[in-house]
Amino acid sequence: MRVSYVTVRKRLTLVLLIGFFIFAIIDVRLGYVQFALGEMLTERAKDLWSRNIPFEPERGEILDRNGVPLATNVSAPSVLVVPRQIENPAETAEKLANILNMPVEKVYKHLTKKTSIERIHPEGRKISHEKAKEIRALGLKGVYIAEDSKRYYPFGSYLSHVLGFAGIDNQGLMGLELYYDKELSGQKGSVQFYSDAKGKRMPDMADAYTSPVDGLNLKLTIDTRVQTILERELDIAETTYRPDGMIAIAMNPNNGEILGMASRPTFDPADFQNVPPEVFNRNLPIWSTYEPGSTFKIITLAAALEEKKVDLLRDHFYDSGHVHVAGATLHCWKRGGHGSQSFLEVVQNSCNPGFVELGERLGKEKLFEYIKAFGFGEKTGIDLQGEGKGILFPLHRVGPVEQATTAFGQGVAVTPIQQVAAVAAAVNGGFLYTPYIAKEWLDPVTGEVVRRQTPQVKRRVISEETSKQIRYALESVVAQGTGKGAFVDGYRVGGKTGTAQKAKDGQYLKNNHIVSFIGFAPADAPQLVVYVAVDNPKGTVQFGGVVAAPIVGNIMEDSLRALGVKPRKEQMEKETTWLDPRLVKIPNLIGLTKKDLQQQLFNLKLDVSGEGDVVIEQAPEPGVKVKEGATIRIYLGTKR
Amino acid sequence: MHGKRSAPDFLLIIITFSLLAIGLVMVYSASAVWADYKFHDSFFFAKRQLLFAAVGIIAMFFFMNIDYWTWRTWAKVLLIICFILLVLVLIPGVGVVRNGSRSWIGIGAFSIQPSEFMKMAMISFLAKFLSENQKKIPSFKKGLLPSLTLVFVAFAMIMLQPDLGTGTVMVGTCIVMIFVAGARISHFVGLAFVGIAGFVGLVLSAPYRIKRITSFLNPWEDPLGSGFQMIQSLYAIGPGGLFGLGLGQSRQKFFYLPEPQTDFIFAILAEELGFIGGSLVLLLFSLLLWRGVRIALGAPDLYGSFLAVGIIAMIAIQVMINIGVVTGLMPVTGITLPFLSYGGSSLTLMLMAIGVLLNISRYARY
Repeated sequence: MRVSYVTVRKRLTLVLLIGFFIFAIIDVRLGYVQFALGEMLTERAKDLWSRNIPFEPERGEILDRNGVPLATNVSAPSVLVVPRQIENPAETAEKLANILNMPVEKVYKHLTKKTSIERIHPEGRKISHEKAKEIRALGLKGVYIAEDSKRYYPFGSYLSHVLGFAGIDNQGLMGLELYYDKELSGQKGSVQFYSDAKGKRMPDMADAYTSPVDGLNLKLTIDTRVQTILERELDIAETTYRPDGMIAIAMNPNNGEILGMASRPTFDPADFQNVPPEVFNRNLPIWSTYEPGSTFKIITLAAALEEKKVDLLRDHFYDSGHVHVAGATLHCWKRGGHGSQSFLEVVQNSCNPGFVELGERLGKEKLFEYIKAFGFGEKTGIDLQGEGKGILFPLHRVGPVEQATTAFGQGVAVTPIQQVAAVAAAVNGGFLYTPYIAKEWLDPVTGEVVRRQTPQVKRRVISEETSKQIRYALESVVAQGTGKGAFVDGYRVGGKTGTAQKAKDGQYLKNNHIVSFIGFAPADAPQLVVYVAVDNPKGTVQFGGVVAAPIVGNIMEDSLRALGVKPRKEQMEKETTWLDPRLVKIPNLIGLTKKDLQQQLFNLKLDVSGEGDVVIEQAPEPGVKVKEGATIRIYLGTKR
Repeated sequence: MHGKRSAPDFLLIIITFSLLAIGLVMVYSASAVWADYKFHDSFFFAKRQLLFAAVGIIAMFFFMNIDYWTWRTWAKVLLIICFILLVLVLIPGVGVVRNGSRSWIGIGAFSIQPSEFMKMAMISFLAKFLSENQKKIPSFKKGLLPSLTLVFVAFAMIMLQPDLGTGTVMVGTCIVMIFVAGARISHFVGLAFVGIAGFVGLVLSAPYRIKRITSFLNPWEDPLGSGFQMIQSLYAIGPGGLFGLGLGQSRQKFFYLPEPQTDFIFAILAEELGFIGGSLVLLLFSLLLWRGVRIALGAPDLYGSFLAVGIIAMIAIQVMINIGVVTGLMPVTGITLPFLSYGGSSLTLMLMAIGVLLNISRYARY
């Protein structure tokens, strides 16, 4: 075959067409990149070209329910260096290292870094104003002091576990600071400018400024007046009993607002680095899980009453001091037993065999149904991090012994906040609330409420009638039973003691208990639920009634007064024994002369102040009942 | 045998000058920022390119007046010289390494790329060989195999530098020439398989080529390494849109796209002049291709025809590969865009080639 010119001509034309076709494909591809991918590429390219100078927002403050600041910001200077402007890095490094207490080499590294602006982290950040002043005085070229802000906790170690703390970049690390970090931290602003690949500003492209949005202020349900009382009482108890740990919670039973929450050991949020992590990591009131002991009997009682398995006044029970359940012998805490009692007395005496009886009358299904209904075995859902769930027997593994021990609070593990929420439901008419701590979000500029948390009822557990009987029974526990230490005259405190043996590696420890008391007041219309638990108090009988009840009594008395709750005229009077100090009504001393005072016969001490002959002021006021031998302060003046 | 000389293809000159003008403007626009930064003279590259263009134009008119049969006479000698140069360039000390390839023989500022000249010498020689042995072309043993062997020896030598871009253009050009000369289609199909296998083997033998391949498929896999140029190129083209950001308004030339005046100049052009500008350039190259093939069709003898198609195929293939790379259709190979990219060697050679093409057109009868 001979290749002719015809073939060459044909093939040349074919080459031309193929060439045109390939050029067309390339042109289509160009269009695809510019139109279909254009937007995506432009976005990415803008990211590449733009440089952001961040503007930090102000972190939202945390306030108590009355506006008392609990976490705020203070200005804190930071050192910035511009490496290119530094004339003598070695000398500058030495001077800075001196003031900042850091190795010279480390400063030198910062000073010679190839960057436009360098922060000396962390030594040169958020330094004291004195140090900043010293650095300014040196007048070093390329070294600048920039204003920065630092978290400040005005109360120190106070509500620490709840508040938590924020880190050096004002980021929430623990507690509410972490839980609500997003709301508190606001949004970073920036100046965005376009630059070339060498960092220089690109001509003809406008800068874009996005202003930072400050974080919202957080108003808590916490009342600092109540919190201060909790902290004070725990401080006193700490010196008295040197316990391993302590917990106190105060809640409004009618809506689930936490008014106070404290624990020991505690820490100062400003100094968290010097505290073992297990101290600041564990918010004991919601984290710790242990056998509740007798405080749990309230739940058994509530179930039995609601199911009409018991009549507190008419039904009687004989306690021999122990009870046999499926071959096991369970003892009452009182050796020899309480003898014959009404079930009201069973409650007052916290008699274990009596509650075993109530448990049997209910049966395991009903008993556990109520335990779960009261919120045990699940998180309460409080807005704090690290909440525990507690441990319940799975129903199929509950035999007669487990049923019996559960009825008086052993063999279950619960958290303090679960108990508070459950008891609140038992006394408030049966409504189980979700406890909460963040009440309102406020606009930092206008102070207007942006968002408000409303009380959340999870479910109704018991009827008002049952609740009323529980209040009555528990008031009698305080007035006449094991909880006398919590009695506050006029405030009708009701409550229940608890003493739980601590277990370690499946064995109960000897002489090592968590003693607790859960109380509420006033019994006619509860305003406050207070729970206190003391872990392994020393130098005392480890009974809830002895250690924890008086603490709750003190907290109740001062808190209710602070909250403006009026003392009641009607109350269940306290049954006194020879052990109890007698109460005396304070007489009216106003108007009496010194001479008159000497003739008065009463068993009270006087604390006299002021010049003059006549009593013009006295505290406490006439009619208030105090212990025998208590002190009355009087102020003398001249007769008008 | 020599017919009467008439006027050269005027339209081809116009197209060439248009591309040259666009190239000069774009070299200035793309390089100004970089030139100012490096040499404190924003016209640094533009001035040199203008000089190269002047030299190139003189060369073009010079070669336009040298009868193209001269190249047939000297074809063998030129080819041997080029082979010698290809060996010399591999010797360290003689050959200069730029961008990882030993491709340059340096005599001060006037350094040349032997592989570029090899392309031309090969086109000239192959045109001679094919026109003289046209009857044997359909035979695999006598026609196809000798010509291909020669081409692949040259290709192998170029790949020793290595310079995949130039090598590919040369092989592509030669295949087009052999195809036009009348090789059997069935031979091509068979060779295509061999070629693909060979190319894959070549790519697999050097890891950096694998990276180039993968980075072209997804440049964002390694945005700071192998995908860097591709991404920077797309960041230039993408925002260009239909009309572009306007002449001189490129952002990617601000040090983002490295050496924007050379291989990736089309990206800056598409950024500043948009789809319209890019399409116009493609249209000009299509017209160039048309004029080139037209000259091949009108050439008075087979030698002229093959020489013309070789030259125009070389230009067109180089354009296709360059713009294919810039728009992300192909892996990065490192090849200039004829008439537009900055670079003396490339530009003067291209204009010389056009000069030869113009000379053929003077004898063409359509």
